[in-house]
Amino acid sequence: MTGMIRLTRHGSLTDAVRYVLYCLVALPFVLPVWWVIALALRPTGQPLGGDLLPVPWPPATENLGRVFEVVDFARFLANSAFVVAVTVPVTILVASWAGFALAQLPGRWRTRIVVLAIAVAMLPLTAIWLPRFILIRELGLIDNLWALTLDALIATSPFNVLIFLWSFARIPDGIYEAARLDGASAFRIWGGIAMPLARPTIIAVAVLTFAHHWSSFIEPALYLRSTANMTVTLGLTMLQQLDRGDWPVLMAGILIAIGPVVLAFLLSHRAFLHDVRDAGWIGR
Amino acid sequence: MLSGGSRVSLASGETKTGIAVAAPRRKLVWPRPRLSYTGQLVLMLLPFVAGLLLLGIGPALAGLPLALTHYNLLRPPVFAGLANIQEMLGDQVFRRALFNTLFYIVVAVPLRLAGALLLAVLLAASVRGVVVFRGAVYLPTVIPDVAWALVWLWVLNPFHGPLNQMLGLFGLPGPLWLTGEWSSRVAIVLMLFWQLGEGFIICLAALAGVPRALLDQAAVDGSTAKQTFWRITLPVIAPVLLVLLARDTAASLKATAVPGLIFEPSTGMREGGFFLPNYIYETAFEYLRFGYASAMTWALYGLTALAIWVQFRMVQRWSVSVDGDD
Repeated sequence: MTGMIRLTRHGSLTDAVRYVLYCLVALPFVLPVWWVIALALRPTGQPLGGDLLPVPWPPATENLGRVFEVVDFARFLANSAFVVAVTVPVTILVASWAGFALAQLPGRWRTRIVVLAIAVAMLPLTAIWLPRFILIRELGLIDNLWALTLDALIATSPFNVLIFLWSFARIPDGIYEAARLDGASAFRIWGGIAMPLARPTIIAVAVLTFAHHWSSFIEPALYLRSTANMTVTLGLTMLQQLDRGDWPVLMAGILIAIGPVVLAFLLSHRAFLHDVRDAGWIGR
Repeated sequence: MLSGGSRVSLASGETKTGIAVAAPRRKLVWPRPRLSYTGQLVLMLLPFVAGLLLLGIGPALAGLPLALTHYNLLRPPVFAGLANIQEMLGDQVFRRALFNTLFYIVVAVPLRLAGALLLAVLLAASVRGVVVFRGAVYLPTVIPDVAWALVWLWVLNPFHGPLNQMLGLFGLPGPLWLTGEWSSRVAIVLMLFWQLGEGFIICLAALAGVPRALLDQAAVDGSTAKQTFWRITLPVIAPVLLVLLARDTAASLKATAVPGLIFEPSTGMREGGFFLPNYIYETAFEYLRFGYASAMTWALYGLTALAIWVQFRMVQRWSVSVDGDD
């Protein structure tokens, strides 16, 4: 612990100074979110701007309600929930299977497929737009929510496979060997031994996948047509275009849209922020 | 199929009557041929590899020949030779989008990395409650791009927005952000800077991974914290920084598309906030010129590859010179 402190240049600072510094560092990152909350819960009649640290007191929930009246936001939430409900389990399955297999297949194969995965992960998504659009059109999935779930087949991002690979590679070979000698199949070792040991990785990948699909904007904009199929992100742009001056309702929509993602990260913060040294998904 | 089903039910009936013939029953319940262990592993790998080929490599390669055609989705592609590439070379809008994209890669990407590293160094100490502050820094990254852009539409609002109010506190004139060319450029760099959480977390992990012994040895040798950081910590984590730089370059090509789609298309945004992905999107999906869009996509590929290569060379040279210092 002392070593960690020496790592920073503020090792000699007293705690009070340290926490004041931390607050100053964190403030700019929290402020924009505070503005969203303050505007969304703003009591009617309170002036729009003019206050850098507005306090929405007493909080008014009418803006939140109006979001659901102006557009069919409940429908958009349900659509996004559907996409996430399909993509998260499929991604976990594809990524953990592939990671499990790669951790045990001969090194030659592992290297090849890891290089392939990194190559695809580095492809600018822009580059795949056009052929992907044509593919989805050929599959007849234009204006169909299933079009947004295809990505789960490449584990949403190939990085998710690498995260599982790193995680499974840390499990001592002896454990797999012993199970194999007992006659267990690969699927059985995956489900009975590897996955229970990789719980933090599963949580991290699940949250990242959830956030990815919940936030996805360009893909729904390309593939979806009808209002009934829109996802939350498209709903937000619709909210903005319908009434450009109504900031409180827009902010209320944003608050509802970011709520689930922020909550997911809060609940799983251990996997991301706690002692990073222990965070399996980083790969150490 | 049918006979198999009836046999299975027969097998389960047998157990009821108590005739225990374990071995043949097992064979009937699992009629599929037994795969070797390696075969099972390959089977587990299959969905992912199929996905990589069908949704990644395949589409990426399929885009290449399209660049040599005129294609509007409605009629089959018509071979056009190098017409698209010729058009690209003389296209003013393309040139401007290229400049903006390059500007972002050269200015904003390193800035984001430097910011992520600085914040990681500041918040590296594992003291009580540090997680809360790390979480605060990570918060904007969690927020969907679209929601974040819409928040910044408010932040940048010249009349009510908090940014200009803040500038006013220091007696600075607030620009009409998204109406001017350079103010649009700065606004987008600023807006995307806030979402540096991924780099921040990876820098934190890299810092935690610097061998303790090295740092202790440096302290024993009388190295100041500053010297230790520049001479030991930074060179040790240089490979991680390099990967981050390359990854952020590739990712920025997607991130920069969002403001152009969300902010109103003012002249300032058309000039300063219009990136290659925006032009490709517009060309393909608004003008239905898939051939030309595909040609520009290949220019984008080339640009990304070039940028990443330059970054590798620069960091290589820099880490060597740092090593050579002592």
